[in-house]
Amino acid sequence: METRPDIPAGTLYMLILKTLTRRGPLHGYGIAQHIQQTSEDILQVEEGSLYPALQRMLVKGWVTDEWKISENNRRARYYSLTPEGRKQLARELRHFDRVMGAISRVIQEV
Amino acid sequence: MRQLFRKLRFFLRRDQFERDLEEEIRYHLDRKAEEQIRPEAVLRQFGRVAQVKEESRRMWTSTLWEQFAQDVRYGIRAMTANPLFTAMAVLSLALGIGANTAIFGFLDGILLRDLPVERPGELVVLNWRASDQPKVIHRHSGSRYRDGKHGIASPNYPYPFYRLLRAKQDALSALFAYANMWELNLVAREQADISAGELVSGNYFHDLGVVPAAGRLIVDEDDRAGAPPVAVLSYGYWRKRYLSDPAAVGQVIRINHVPVTIIGVSAPGFFGVNPAADPSVYLPLLSAPRFAPKPAEDERRRFLEKDSYWVEMMGRLRPGVSLIQAQAELAGRFHQYAVSTVTSPKEKDSLPELWLEPGAGGLDSLRRQYSEPLFVLMAMVTLILAIACANIANLLLARATSRRREMAVRLSLGAGRGRVIRQLLTESLLLSVTGAILGLFVALWGIRSITWLLANGQENFTLRASLSWPVLAFTAALAVATGVLFGLAPALQATRVDLTSGLKESQIGTPGRFRRFSLSQALVAAQIAISLILVIAAGLFVRTLSNLHSVQLGFNRENVLIFNMNARQAGYKDAALATVYGDLLDRFGRIPGVRSAGLSQAPLAVGFWNSTGLTIPGASKTLGAGLETCIEPVDPSFLATMQIPILAGRGFQQHDMEAPRVAVVTEQFAGKFFPNENPLGRRIGLGDSKSAADIEIIGIAKTAHYNSIQEQDTPPVAYVPYTQNLDNLGSVFFELRTAGDPLLTINTVRQIVHQEDSTIAVSGVSALAAHIDQTIGKEITFAQLCTCFAVLALVIACVGLYGAIAYAVARRTNEIGIRMALGAERWSIQWMVLRELLTLAASGIAVGLLIAGSTTRFVASFLFGLKHNDPAVLSVSVLLLAATAVAAAYAPARRAARVDPMAALRHE
Repeated sequence: METRPDIPAGTLYMLILKTLTRRGPLHGYGIAQHIQQTSEDILQVEEGSLYPALQRMLVKGWVTDEWKISENNRRARYYSLTPEGRKQLARELRHFDRVMGAISRVIQEV
Repeated sequence: MRQLFRKLRFFLRRDQFERDLEEEIRYHLDRKAEEQIRPEAVLRQFGRVAQVKEESRRMWTSTLWEQFAQDVRYGIRAMTANPLFTAMAVLSLALGIGANTAIFGFLDGILLRDLPVERPGELVVLNWRASDQPKVIHRHSGSRYRDGKHGIASPNYPYPFYRLLRAKQDALSALFAYANMWELNLVAREQADISAGELVSGNYFHDLGVVPAAGRLIVDEDDRAGAPPVAVLSYGYWRKRYLSDPAAVGQVIRINHVPVTIIGVSAPGFFGVNPAADPSVYLPLLSAPRFAPKPAEDERRRFLEKDSYWVEMMGRLRPGVSLIQAQAELAGRFHQYAVSTVTSPKEKDSLPELWLEPGAGGLDSLRRQYSEPLFVLMAMVTLILAIACANIANLLLARATSRRREMAVRLSLGAGRGRVIRQLLTESLLLSVTGAILGLFVALWGIRSITWLLANGQENFTLRASLSWPVLAFTAALAVATGVLFGLAPALQATRVDLTSGLKESQIGTPGRFRRFSLSQALVAAQIAISLILVIAAGLFVRTLSNLHSVQLGFNRENVLIFNMNARQAGYKDAALATVYGDLLDRFGRIPGVRSAGLSQAPLAVGFWNSTGLTIPGASKTLGAGLETCIEPVDPSFLATMQIPILAGRGFQQHDMEAPRVAVVTEQFAGKFFPNENPLGRRIGLGDSKSAADIEIIGIAKTAHYNSIQEQDTPPVAYVPYTQNLDNLGSVFFELRTAGDPLLTINTVRQIVHQEDSTIAVSGVSALAAHIDQTIGKEITFAQLCTCFAVLALVIACVGLYGAIAYAVARRTNEIGIRMALGAERWSIQWMVLRELLTLAASGIAVGLLIAGSTTRFVASFLFGLKHNDPAVLSVSVLLLAATAVAAAYAPARRAARVDPMAALRHE
């Protein structure tokens, strides 16, 4: 069985931020699910990296949190994007595009 | 910035955070488990929850904490990399901070500590002051002191005024009175003690809010004329005499021969309202006449007399009333009272004026006695700490220069300047905190030895210092302040690096002189200046002490045992009193090893003063009226025992103890009252002007110091037989001249007294020389401490000087090599180094002299026999400093001269 690839370093924040713009407020489990499903099971977010990342984003002020009742009737912490987070997403996307572009130019060079 | 606030909120609500995280992760794992039913995954959950939580928490706490931990690790590595520097820095800081902590401990003890009673902040002390001796006061017993701006001040009031105030209180919610009783004779469990007691009004304990440790305390019912005599023991006395036995309550002790029932014991730690006193018993105010040595009738009168000032008062401010308001009200009432007691127009001048002082700290007698010396000591230890700081700053500066390359690398790798400074400061704070921790041990030792020095053999020394919380806080503040003080300048200098040149620069500096006047040189000069000030201070105090020790007292103080007793308090009266003293004197004289035994009402030169009116029939008119002389009642062998020679006439003999009345006067007395005549055979009268002049002068004794070592003009003294005035005979001192160590006879003396009558207490036993030294305890302490401080300062400054010069030489090895290669002689290299040092030393000494000239006058009142700008002290100090500086610089200068030119040039 092919092992699942790790999420490239530094891109987890971008993935979380993007997920939140797409789906609106969401709990941690939902974010992990969304990333896994959208990437067609290739990217799997371990909780060991997801929750520290979410805490870091709270520190940075990119997201805020709120306790709500989830779809299965339990309390869950929902994260939502702040304007600061929206700006950060734009920055990360720009950065990612440049790096990806550069990498692909290097590896496609014949 | 906003991040910081968020982190702060996190710190404040950590528990909430933990719960949230826990719940969130459980939720996640539960959902996951529901989906993929794999039991082993669920089993592993528990471990994972903790791990995820840990990681998440780190997101909040990381950065700052981690950077700090990193800095500390780095700092410790830097400290261990250079153990000699670290040891020196930590040691000098430990000494400096320790000395500061110790002295501050004492200041805290006398200035900042509150009385151990309920709500001390409300307490006020009632004092009065007057511009001059108030004539309206006819009798005054208690204390009175000079109050700088206002003339005379005192806490004593007439008892009727206390009753008057107590009857109607507006500004005060409570008012209580007390008075000291020095030297009570306590006989408890067949052991006699001489001890202080306190007379207190019935509401004293209640209003102070003191609780009993056993039994009950004095209440209003006890404080009535005619009430059965009762006493409350102090906790300390109860522990000492009754070994904390609760059965002491209800027992009877004898106080000045009066049986008194013990009703209770006061709270542990309670010492009355005067931190300087530590009474053993508290007695109701109105029971005072029972214990009086004089006829009780006299004593009862002072409760009624409106112009007899003796009782002290404290009150509590009513909530909402300010000190000023209360003062206005009470001062008005006291003025009215004082005016009502005026008996002649002359008494209207300089009426005493009531004034309130905050009483939270109790009475301020300790403060008056010790605050000035302690402030002087505090200034000195601050200077020492300043030298230590300058020293470390200098060493750090030197190190910073050698770490320029490291700094340049770190800065060029993108570390912010602030971050690097923070790291350097962490290093210096590590040093100072380590120093402060060691300093606490130094302080403990210092407090113990300074207490010992200040107490100087006093049995009931009450100035106590300890490492209380305020003192520890002071030490912590000192550690941080010193760390920043000596660390900041070097850190700023170290990070002010021009990157390119810093990276390229070699270890050895470019040839040339120091910068014209660098920070490092300024620090060295400052150290020299401060050391000079401390050396001058030490010189002044040491000379003061040697002046005091070389004073000729006029009697031989060596090998004399002295002790005090008061048989009147044990129930002896008049003739019986004289007999018991005479008996004892005989038996003391027969102790083996005792050459002779004498008796006097007061010992010489230890602060006693007993003066009386003098009448001389047929005296020359130029002497004027109202003559006074000091008198010293003695036994026939006193003068011989003290080895005071008789210059003319004869000394006392046994038959002089009976009538006719005779006196031996001092040379001083003869010269003053009989300037051109022979006083032998003349008659004088002692006492008030009505007393008959029936005392014949039979001899002239050589003048001996009467009141103190320091006295410049010895007063005229008349020695008279102690049996001449039996009414006034009470407490006496015995002087035993011994062949060897006088203290060896103590036990025999106690046995003899115990055999004679076990209720007579012997107190104040000491060698006369030591007893006299106690009166100059302050001067001795100052001389010893200052010498220590000056040596300490010199050592620290030497190390600093050596370090600075050695470093300068090392930096210039290259240049010196070139000079020598070009033909410079060794001596000229040596001279070059020494010249730099001498310039520094000279400027330091000049500054030090300037400052010393203006500051030593603050200690002028502590000096004896010399002025604050004593030229001998100044010049010796300057020489000492210059010699020390040259000695410190000699080794590096020699090393400079021994530089091998080839090696120096290849050094690169």
